[in-house]
Amino acid sequence: MSQATVAPAPSHWGTGRSGLVLAGLILAFAIYLTVGIITMTVPDGAEPPGPKFFPIILAVACYALAVMLTVHYVRRPEAPADTDGVETIEEPEGVRHKSFTDWRTLGLTMAGFLAFALLLDPIGWILAAALMFWVIAWAMGSGSPLKDVAVALVLSCAVQVAFSAGLGLHLPAGILDGVL
Amino acid sequence: MESLNLLAGGLADALTPMNLLWVFIGAFLGTAVGVLPGLGSSMAVALLLPVTFTLDPTAAFIMFAGVYFGGLFGDSTMAILVNTPGGSTAIASTFEGHRMTLTGRGPQALATAAIGAFVGGLLASVIVVLFAPKLADLAVNFGPPEYLALSVLAFVATATVVSTSLAKGLASLVFGLTFAVIGIDGISGAQRFTFGAPQLFDGISIIVITVGVLALGEVFHVASRVRRTRPGRLHKITGRPYLSRAEVREAAPAWGRGALIGAPFGVIPVGGAEIPTFLAYGGERALDRRRKHPQFGKGAIRGLAAPEAAGNATAGTAIGALLAMGLPTSATAAIMLAAFRQYGLQPGPLLFTRSADLVWTLIASLFIGLVVLLVLNLPFAPLWAKLTKIPRHYLYAGIAVFCGLGVYATSAAVTDLILVLGIGFLGFLLRRYDFPLAPIMIGVVLGPLAETSLRNALLSSGGDYGVLVDSGISVTIYAALVLVLVFVAYRGLRARAARDV
Repeated sequence: MSQATVAPAPSHWGTGRSGLVLAGLILAFAIYLTVGIITMTVPDGAEPPGPKFFPIILAVACYALAVMLTVHYVRRPEAPADTDGVETIEEPEGVRHKSFTDWRTLGLTMAGFLAFALLLDPIGWILAAALMFWVIAWAMGSGSPLKDVAVALVLSCAVQVAFSAGLGLHLPAGILDGVL
Repeated sequence: MESLNLLAGGLADALTPMNLLWVFIGAFLGTAVGVLPGLGSSMAVALLLPVTFTLDPTAAFIMFAGVYFGGLFGDSTMAILVNTPGGSTAIASTFEGHRMTLTGRGPQALATAAIGAFVGGLLASVIVVLFAPKLADLAVNFGPPEYLALSVLAFVATATVVSTSLAKGLASLVFGLTFAVIGIDGISGAQRFTFGAPQLFDGISIIVITVGVLALGEVFHVASRVRRTRPGRLHKITGRPYLSRAEVREAAPAWGRGALIGAPFGVIPVGGAEIPTFLAYGGERALDRRRKHPQFGKGAIRGLAAPEAAGNATAGTAIGALLAMGLPTSATAAIMLAAFRQYGLQPGPLLFTRSADLVWTLIASLFIGLVVLLVLNLPFAPLWAKLTKIPRHYLYAGIAVFCGLGVYATSAAVTDLILVLGIGFLGFLLRRYDFPLAPIMIGVVLGPLAETSLRNALLSSGGDYGVLVDSGISVTIYAALVLVLVFVAYRGLRARAARDV
């Protein structure tokens, strides 16, 4: 991962070149497409251009773009751009982080969502959604975990009422089945 | 004149209490996401898409139209008061708008922005009424080769014009196109890239992709930085937003010019209103330099009025292009196109004949929506700014909950939740490395149209590629594509020359 923007950051070859991960990702897409094209069973009577035609174009484009992105990052490393209009006031001078991305907060946020996905059916919407809300709020630096529990439960219950009763969407009740 | 009669009919349909409620909700939500930095109308539409399936299509679309316009009304508020644009379309408004606040004219800046957005949207809606039916008549003649040409134009223009680098824009586009080919092929029935997983037979749901890229990706993006950045400081302003007669006279020409610059960009697929807002700003600056007392740099009212009008003019005509040709020119329009398909409707010329009621109610609701938005924004802009007091950890935790809700509500499948997590991470990577997001949405939505058009054209011609450039319409579209590429190449060369100096 690239260094934080605080200068002077010790630089090594990888500085500003972590974008190569996207070149790798598009290469992975290319390989996925290639394997898919080779293993595809085309039904009899499919007239040319068949179902492989368009994916072949895409696979070629993926390989070409993997090369283009690699060249792009190798030739011209770039500093992280924070140009999307999100608040950009940085922390005080002198604070230096190992990477631009705060992997701990990001990891916890993603783990919160994963837990929600896996627990939704077993424990139900109200608890799973509240848990996710609480984990993400805590990971993002909320200083009052107890208040967060209340906020999380109010939100998940409100959604359950509004969407199950109001719009008729089915949300799993989980272990609270029968209570609701 | 026929258009006006149809519009009157649409107005009568749109003025039912229920529809007015949907317009209001859309305008309200749109303004809210517009005001909050990092959120935009595309994310709001993506999150609303799943929950609107229980509504009838008319209600859903008039709400979406309110969100679309509302996002552009709201995004200037934070640009003016905090110097942080609410979205990329408000960057051009930030320069002079924030200077007006610094010189104590914050309320006037808010009023200028709101009226500008109203004027731009109004002009665009009038254009839609007058020209959309004509455009639809023209589009009736479109066959597979023309639709292919249109899709290719949309792909290449969105991928190259907004992006900082050609490779990044095209990569984003190809991610979208690849998502779209997964699933059973509609023409031959072959299973493609499913590797036997039944969950993939119907392809990856458009909702999973839009929610993942636009909403969950933003949550992850914020998570990656939230502990290391602080929100900007809100400037307190006193007094109600109002404009004096002299100020109106000063701003009026800029509103008009901005709207005229913005309107054509609704039909040109360059990924939204960012470019026209900058063009409008640049144009006003050039004009200002020739005046006796240049105002730019001191909080020029015209430097704010023009981009605001341009942004909403683009959004208005973009809805027209979507209805008449089925051509989405921004990420939000792409999601609206996906929504039409979910209802079994295909935007394009046939929509005007088959679902004329829906079309004209929607167009009429554009006008109503603009009035509602003006009422919501002109007096209350300082109140809206208070939204930024919501702590970010609650805001984004809440958005994550709604991502989960939207995805689960449409499919009730845990696999889709895992998929959206993965696509959300991709959305984070794309933001982190400054890849444009509009191409991925355009790719997902128009990819299938491009593929079937290409294959049908070649099927009917017996494999003769000449059919693709056989008609005047498709040749014209490819000529437009060449123009876009020349513009991009020229811009690239100029940037390179500037760097060498």
